[in-house]
Amino acid sequence: MSALAIDIGGTFTDIVLYDDATGRFAAHKELTTPSDPARGVVAGIAHLFAAENTDAAQVDRVVHATTLFTNALIERRGAVTGLLTTQGFRDTLEIGHERKYELYDLHLPLPQPLVRRALRQEALERLAPDGTVEIPLDAASVLAAADALVAQGVESLAICFLHAYANPAHEREAARLIAQRHPGLILSLSCDVSPQIREFDRSSTTVANAYVKPLAEKYLNRLSGDLAGIGIAAPLFMMLSNGGLTHVDEAKRVPVQLLESGPAAGALSAAFFGARSGKRDLLAFDLGGTTAKLALVHGGEPLVVHKFEAGRERRFTAGSGLPLNISTIELIEIGAGGGSIAAHDALGLLKVGPRSASSVPGPACYGRGGTEPTVTDGNLLLGYLDAETFAGGTMKLSTEAAETAVGGLAAQAGLDVPRTAAGIHAVVNETMAAAARVHVAEQGHDPRDFALLVTGGGGPLHGCELARRLGISQVICPPGAGVASALGLLLAPARVDRVATVTRRLDGLDWAALDAEYAELEAQARAVIGATLGAGAALSIRRAADLRFVGQGYELITELPAGPYGPGTEAGIREAFQAGYERVFSRRPAVAAIEIINIRVSVTGSTAEGTLDPEVPVAAEGQAATGARQARFGDSPFSAPVLDRRRLAAGSEVIGPAIIEEAMSTLLIPPGARAMVEAGGNIVIHLPETR
Amino acid sequence: MTIKFDPVTLELLWTRLVSIVDEAAAALLRTSFSVIVRESHDFACVLTDARGHSLVQATDGVPSFLCTVPRTIGHFLAEFPPETLREGDILITNDIWLGTGHLPDITVAKPIFLNGKLLAFAGSVAHAPDIGGRIRTAESREVYEEGLQIPIMKVVREGTIDDTFVRFLRKNTRVPDQVMGDLYAQFTALDLMERRLRALLGEHGLEDLVALADEIHGRSEAATRKAIRAVPDGIYHADVVTDGLEQPIRLKLALHKQGDSIMADYAGTDPQVPRGINVCLAYTLAYTAFAVKAALCPEVPNNEGAFRPITVSAPVGCILNSTPPFAGANRALTGHFIPPMILQALADAIPDKVIAGVGSPLWSLNFAGVRADGSPIANQFFMNGGYGAGAAHDGANVLSWPSNVSAAPVEMIEQGAPFRIRHRRLRVDTGGTGEHRGGTGQEWAFESRNPTPVAITFMAERTRQEAAAPGLAGGGAGTPGAVLIDGTVVDPKRQHILNPGSTVELRTPGGGGYGDPAQRDAALAAQDIEDGLVTETKL
Repeated sequence: MSALAIDIGGTFTDIVLYDDATGRFAAHKELTTPSDPARGVVAGIAHLFAAENTDAAQVDRVVHATTLFTNALIERRGAVTGLLTTQGFRDTLEIGHERKYELYDLHLPLPQPLVRRALRQEALERLAPDGTVEIPLDAASVLAAADALVAQGVESLAICFLHAYANPAHEREAARLIAQRHPGLILSLSCDVSPQIREFDRSSTTVANAYVKPLAEKYLNRLSGDLAGIGIAAPLFMMLSNGGLTHVDEAKRVPVQLLESGPAAGALSAAFFGARSGKRDLLAFDLGGTTAKLALVHGGEPLVVHKFEAGRERRFTAGSGLPLNISTIELIEIGAGGGSIAAHDALGLLKVGPRSASSVPGPACYGRGGTEPTVTDGNLLLGYLDAETFAGGTMKLSTEAAETAVGGLAAQAGLDVPRTAAGIHAVVNETMAAAARVHVAEQGHDPRDFALLVTGGGGPLHGCELARRLGISQVICPPGAGVASALGLLLAPARVDRVATVTRRLDGLDWAALDAEYAELEAQARAVIGATLGAGAALSIRRAADLRFVGQGYELITELPAGPYGPGTEAGIREAFQAGYERVFSRRPAVAAIEIINIRVSVTGSTAEGTLDPEVPVAAEGQAATGARQARFGDSPFSAPVLDRRRLAAGSEVIGPAIIEEAMSTLLIPPGARAMVEAGGNIVIHLPETR
Repeated sequence: MTIKFDPVTLELLWTRLVSIVDEAAAALLRTSFSVIVRESHDFACVLTDARGHSLVQATDGVPSFLCTVPRTIGHFLAEFPPETLREGDILITNDIWLGTGHLPDITVAKPIFLNGKLLAFAGSVAHAPDIGGRIRTAESREVYEEGLQIPIMKVVREGTIDDTFVRFLRKNTRVPDQVMGDLYAQFTALDLMERRLRALLGEHGLEDLVALADEIHGRSEAATRKAIRAVPDGIYHADVVTDGLEQPIRLKLALHKQGDSIMADYAGTDPQVPRGINVCLAYTLAYTAFAVKAALCPEVPNNEGAFRPITVSAPVGCILNSTPPFAGANRALTGHFIPPMILQALADAIPDKVIAGVGSPLWSLNFAGVRADGSPIANQFFMNGGYGAGAAHDGANVLSWPSNVSAAPVEMIEQGAPFRIRHRRLRVDTGGTGEHRGGTGQEWAFESRNPTPVAITFMAERTRQEAAAPGLAGGGAGTPGAVLIDGTVVDPKRQHILNPGSTVELRTPGGGGYGDPAQRDAALAAQDIEDGLVTETKL
């Protein structure tokens, strides 16, 4: 039997077919069809089936990731959405955090709420922080609000009452009343979508869910139908932002969990290939045309965080988007890629990005009308790229156009062209290194303890230099770095995360009650996994809690032991929190009470068929060395041998400088570095120690 | 030694310096204990050269601090010349006039040596959650009432912390663990800057920062001067009235723009007052430079060079150049008027680059009392007013400027404090009219659920009509703010007692509008009506 992975991106839809029996996988890139994404998927599958001489009957599993919902948020193409709040708080969504994300810009564009004020209504009701009812829900006010919103064309409604995390009764009752009166209205409740304290973030998350929910229902119904139409009877699983899978109905219920499904697959894939080289602590680095992405893999698992920002006003500026409480693979996006434009700023310094030539017109060397010098132009002039075989030979690069573009910049700086090209390369690497350093420090780690795993068209080209700047001594380049990401979809376990706010102190806690609350979350999560995988799945259940010292404003997520809990549990939890606190913050207050804000469970389940063990083809016949190129490293020119990766046998060693080419990417081995081709398919590069 | 840096090398070194202070700031944030640092980001990290001239500041820092930290380091050097400094020393002060203008801000700096030679200073300032004295209030007459004063001293000598100092500090604050925790977080940031800077110089084979500092300062100064040159020469005036105390307080500015430099002259400004709203000169300079930069060249990096073209003159003893022992705990209530005043003055010359008046300063409700079980309880909740409109945009409804301090969530406030918040909503009809509307303020209603009365004080300004956030280019002023207890307007500069079941309302000011209201786009005007932000009568 086979598994099918479908990853819809902005430009391409990647489809991977994996044969469970042989471990072989085949990949195909189909242009994305934005007006009707299912059409591209079906066309791509048909193409792959024909090429691989197989059919729908052989498929027993389909896993899907998509950027459609993220893009709907960015482009504001969601449903007409309304919001119902507690009386006195209809403006919470608009007032937000009251903070600017950039201090000196007087004319800063701020993210506008997804629901304008006219579509925000209030209901008469009030809960206390512990969930006690202070003002009972007034049915007439709920129905009047709903009627008014429906009259204004609202298709999807978010309900977010104060303290609903402590007691969902009012939200549920309001939903019941509204569903009776307006059965066609699609509802999202904050107690379901994000039952966590802090009303703005909870509202923002619930509203974003409501905004994409009609779209998700329509699209997923359509895709399920189309797959059935071509004879695929296997269930469709959806990739979540946290790197887990779920079934289609859960995806339709809370689609906001799917926003980052594509990058999550990439991080899973990095963890998988890193493990093949025995590395469990990795910095996964993907460099594409306009952005670079960095994700941390710690102890063999991608780091999962519980905050996300969607639809940023300024793509690379934190704080410029809508905050969402979703669990997602932790990653940063940096405005640096192959198309990033190099220019002198007002101070006469060489800057690279975040402005990008993108794919249209593209770098100057593409010869498609681009005239500004880009990172790719620099790489071509440095001898790193082959003008004839770039992107698998689909495109010829113009060295002349690159020289003209970079030459203009060189003249302004009073440098020669090679020195300027080297400067572009160095500056873009330093830009990425600077972002990586701060990011890794924020996670409480030291980058030198990690290996760098490189994917994407540009990752293998810039990886060694980025690693050197970070003090990282080992770089791993997986086989087929270009499709490595879609393969990650097939590696995912089914996963459900659940959270609830409890807010109480550890001393004097009713442990049996807390254990019951965990058990309730676990039961919810198990039900979803059961519906995804069937009854026989092996489950792994993890508990965690957001803890802090009493009086603090932010919490540290701490892993907790499994239940059941009793009075003896406290010491262990206290110890685990304090140890974690010391690891991250290096010291802790001498005497302080601890409180628990949120409890979290994460349930993962896998079946025997879920294990993936891709085969790497035996090295092709023939000489690996195909020639040599003049390439410049730093200030020195070298003659670097060019090698064909398909012909490098396991166990081969390559001493830098060298250039290793494969279909969609080029791996650069700098002078002094030593690369090993491993039996598992990875190339592992050891850099000279810089520690 | 003269080294000429090419644009590539300079960019690499400069980016590294910025990433060093950013990394230090991230470490400080993560290791701090107080909500005011962690939630409100009230701190900064700065790296200076051996003279105390700033090189780089962390990207996410409070603007006033960038200017004050290097000056404080200058005062450190005056008291402890280079030959008295040792590796591993850390200097400290919270002196109002040598620091940032109020006692909670603790400035520390660590000299960094390379091969026995003084190379640089790592500096940091953070707002302590408590420094003793009275609860934050404008009612103090002298600095002695406002808490513990730390003179310039070595808090760490060659790696060893001064225990006597620590004992004094702990004894003089209500929350010693938090204060010490934050101070150690600052030390952590200084250590990190020291390590990273030495490594960077080693990698590049540099022996000192002299040539690099010259390049950074020179280029930043040139870019700032170029931006200033684009403004027509002249003297630009602005007069501002604040609520003040019993009487309004008048601030007066003559902005002299000549060639490529700017001098802000505050002559004619009212004298300092016997209350905690006086501003020290360093704070005046900081917010003057902040506003000039925001208006003319927001993209130029922040360092000593960018400030050189901007100078300040303020008569000694006026409220913008206070002298000991005049108090300054709530200096922001006066000082936050400086940036809008600068923009107002520049409006004639560069109307497209500035914005109308903002519903600042930062507002807050402070309270202290005793819980049902007899334990003490105290806290401070921030909130902001409406933002000013510009030539191409409406003012945002509720935005923090110039301080950038957030409000706490209602659910968090109700979890920890004996209040029920009846509403927190936008204030209809409070944005100034104009082609571009000013941002609306907001209104909060806190009902006390404490079984016994609690003491409350406020940070609140622009409550008088004459202190309203002015409009620009024909736009109308924002509506002034107000503080009410059980429906009656009260004096927000005084302490009040809130009885059980009583409600205090804080209504923050709206921002000013921009341009002729008659020119407002009909669709936008209709949308404001539909959204209920503006009523028909106020169009």
